[in-house]
Amino acid sequence: MARRNPRGRAGAPVLFFFLLLLLFAAVPSDAADTVTVDVGAVYASNEGTSIDPALGTIRGKLRSMFNYTSYRMMDRKRRSLSVGETGEFELPDRRTMRATPLPARRDKVRLSIQISEGSRSLLTTTLGLRRGGMVLVGGPPHQAGVLILIISAE
Amino acid sequence: MDCRAALRNIEAKADGLLSREAEAELAGHLAGCPACSAEDAAISATGPAIRALAGIRAREKAPALDAMWTRVRAGIAEGREARRRSSWVARWVWIPAAVAMALLALLFYPSRMDRSPFHPSSFDVAVEHVESDTATVALVDKGEDLPRVIWIIEDGKT
Repeated sequence: MARRNPRGRAGAPVLFFFLLLLLFAAVPSDAADTVTVDVGAVYASNEGTSIDPALGTIRGKLRSMFNYTSYRMMDRKRRSLSVGETGEFELPDRRTMRATPLPARRDKVRLSIQISEGSRSLLTTTLGLRRGGMVLVGGPPHQAGVLILIISAE
Repeated sequence: MDCRAALRNIEAKADGLLSREAEAELAGHLAGCPACSAEDAAISATGPAIRALAGIRAREKAPALDAMWTRVRAGIAEGREARRRSSWVARWVWIPAAVAMALLALLFYPSRMDRSPFHPSSFDVAVEHVESDTATVALVDKGEDLPRVIWIIEDGKT
């Protein structure tokens, strides 16, 4: 039977992961001036009693803050944006959210956010968050409930 | 020792399994028993005859065996050479594949892929300004343990 070179087989995965580590390690130096904006669109309603597991640790917080019985993650998008760069996030019902990171101290993130529905501007705000912080924007009606946006930035 | 035991020991002796003491005892019996002695002589002659026959057969088959071994050696050498040629490619082909995979991950992970469930590290948010042309906006703050909420009340809709 054919025997393979055991040294080559053992070395390949190690070198592979080393290469991956090198590549991923190179990201933070580039990402230091970028902000990763994470937007989750949650449909909150009184239709049923299910809470989407994808909501993680904020499931309990949503229940304690709002009177809805069902929370379902409809969409989630994540963009890495440089300071001054605007990223557009499509939301349900032809709504869009535009987020622009603004200059901020190292441990802070400042975001200019604009939510619009067609040509109508629903909200314009500027937020200052800690890296990894989160804010909720809710209220726009959707089907039999409302839309709650979970916005976090790192 | 009776003749039945002697016959068993004769076979054991031919197979080389008899102890020295038993062989001495057997020799004593054979000296006084012509029938067992004749049996011992016949069985003892069988082993060399078989070895001689095997030797003759081996000599007869030797050329064929040599040819077969030559073919086997040639096959092994050929396989080794083919493996040596292909192993170089097999050993290094994963590098461009790994690089391509890592680049794809870097390109698509940040913007396209959904992450694990939300695990915010902080709800400390400063709302520097908030306004709306078409809706009433409320800022809801229920404490440090809960996220701040900007609630849009669309006139005539909400």
